Amino acid sequence: MSKAIRTILAALLAAIIAFPFLYGFSTSFFSVVDFTDSQARFLPSAISLRNYALALSHRHFPRYVLNSTITSVMLSLLRLAVSIPAAFALTHLRFRGQRLIAGIIMATLFIPSDVLLYENYSTIASMGLLDSYMGIILPSIFSGASVLMLYGAFLAGDRDVYDAARIDGAGDLRYMWQILTPLYSPFDAAILIQSFISSFNSYLWPLIVTNRDRMRTVQIGLTMLGFAEEGEKGAQFAAAMIVTIPFLALLAAGRNMIMKALVDTKED
Amino acid sequence: MIGKKAEPYLLLLPAVALALMFSILPFMRTVFLSFMKVTQGGDVIGFGGLSSYKSLFADKAFIRSIGHTLLFVLLFIPLNTALTLLAAVLTRRKGRRTGIAEFIFFSPMAISLSAYGMIFSEMFRGRISIANRILGTDILWLESPISARAVLVFLCVFLDFGLDYILLLSAFRSIDRSLMEAAEIDGCGSVRTLLWIELPAIRNMLLVTIFLALKDALLISAPVMILTEGGPYRSTETVMYYYYLEAFRSSNLQKGRTISTLMALVSMSLVALTARRKRDE
Repeated sequence: MSKAIRTILAALLAAIIAFPFLYGFSTSFFSVVDFTDSQARFLPSAISLRNYALALSHRHFPRYVLNSTITSVMLSLLRLAVSIPAAFALTHLRFRGQRLIAGIIMATLFIPSDVLLYENYSTIASMGLLDSYMGIILPSIFSGASVLMLYGAFLAGDRDVYDAARIDGAGDLRYMWQILTPLYSPFDAAILIQSFISSFNSYLWPLIVTNRDRMRTVQIGLTMLGFAEEGEKGAQFAAAMIVTIPFLALLAAGRNMIMKALVDTKED
Repeated sequence: MIGKKAEPYLLLLPAVALALMFSILPFMRTVFLSFMKVTQGGDVIGFGGLSSYKSLFADKAFIRSIGHTLLFVLLFIPLNTALTLLAAVLTRRKGRRTGIAEFIFFSPMAISLSAYGMIFSEMFRGRISIANRILGTDILWLESPISARAVLVFLCVFLDFGLDYILLLSAFRSIDRSLMEAAEIDGCGSVRTLLWIELPAIRNMLLVTIFLALKDALLISAPVMILTEGGPYRSTETVMYYYYLEAFRSSNLQKGRTISTLMALVSMSLVALTARRKRDE
């Protein structure tokens, strides 16, 4: 392939991939009449931050963003806190029933959570956790893939460190949090990053377990702001951009690290 | 300190309890109940054998949803694979300008389903839409079955693009460089190096990506919910969207369980295939 063709193809494909976002960005500045022009517009007729002001002064929108941030941070940390001890026990300790427990964890990889939507909803409902942060995150705290990734990493690691720590009198708990966790920080980061992204962007589950306006996460909230009904479609796009742009900036800043994290968590 | 004997169990307790509570047990319950006779209120009144399955397959709306799902998969997988592979091939060698392209191809990761759904609804809205303006067409995209399906496929390509691209890109970049250098010394052009050395080297990763995309595509429901709500004329009602409607809107739980069991089986076989591929690697 000659270099020119390759560059043209790459530019074309990049233009297609970037277009919806750019268009969404542009519409976030559209005035009410821009949407109803006789010909569809690419660009707004004037630049005004009115839509952004409308979105930010929405009664619930800031709360939606807060809810999503809190649940995503909680989920990532709890997932790590559950995965590390599990992977540690399976790799560093010998005990009865080890294979059975490893089997249970492996088996979850085969069961898609989508088909358990109703069952899990009724579990959460019977625990009285509808409309709560715990209800949003509880079913996805455990991730077979995360445990398995750490399991593989710990298994490939050097056991001498563990033996040395034991001789020095470090208990297992201390070893886990003060030696193992920092030692495998790239893996910890991979789990945190991947969990945060998937939680922040999840749609179906939070939709099902939340009913009260104040408990909605931002992805659900975005579709329910009610701006379109008031004729203020631009404000809806502004709200979407307020959520998307920081995320995009974050991705740009930590691109290499995030790429690596996503590959690591998906491969194992 | 915790007792030595109990220690491993205590460390595993949270993980195993959650795994049982939200995956293994509900799954077993779903499969078990799908073979029982269950009242609307949820009481088991006897063994039902395959009767739930028989009535499910007698349900025309369900059969149609299988058709819609398969059609979606058939359109989505080749397009998604071709585009992500193309993007990865074009940017696989790090250069001065690949950074920007790489970021653009990766950026759909940051854009959520609701944001994309909102943007796509606007792009393909009515007669006066940006899609019609760009393409010079005059189509009511979301109001006819064929074009609504096309928009749905297109939306899903964007949703999966970032991740699939990264997986393929990293596969290309982890190929042993000495292989390619040897090929170049032997006078192998870049197209031939790509076809004969690089593509075979990433074959497994490519298949893993396809299997994962296949699994996700067969289970598709949320994008349908956001973009078309199954319409127009129920033409985009996929199996899992139908499941959602039956379980949550019509409270038809037994039908929901039966669909769950069938789809779990399909998805399990795909995961098993993927796992075998990975082991072979």
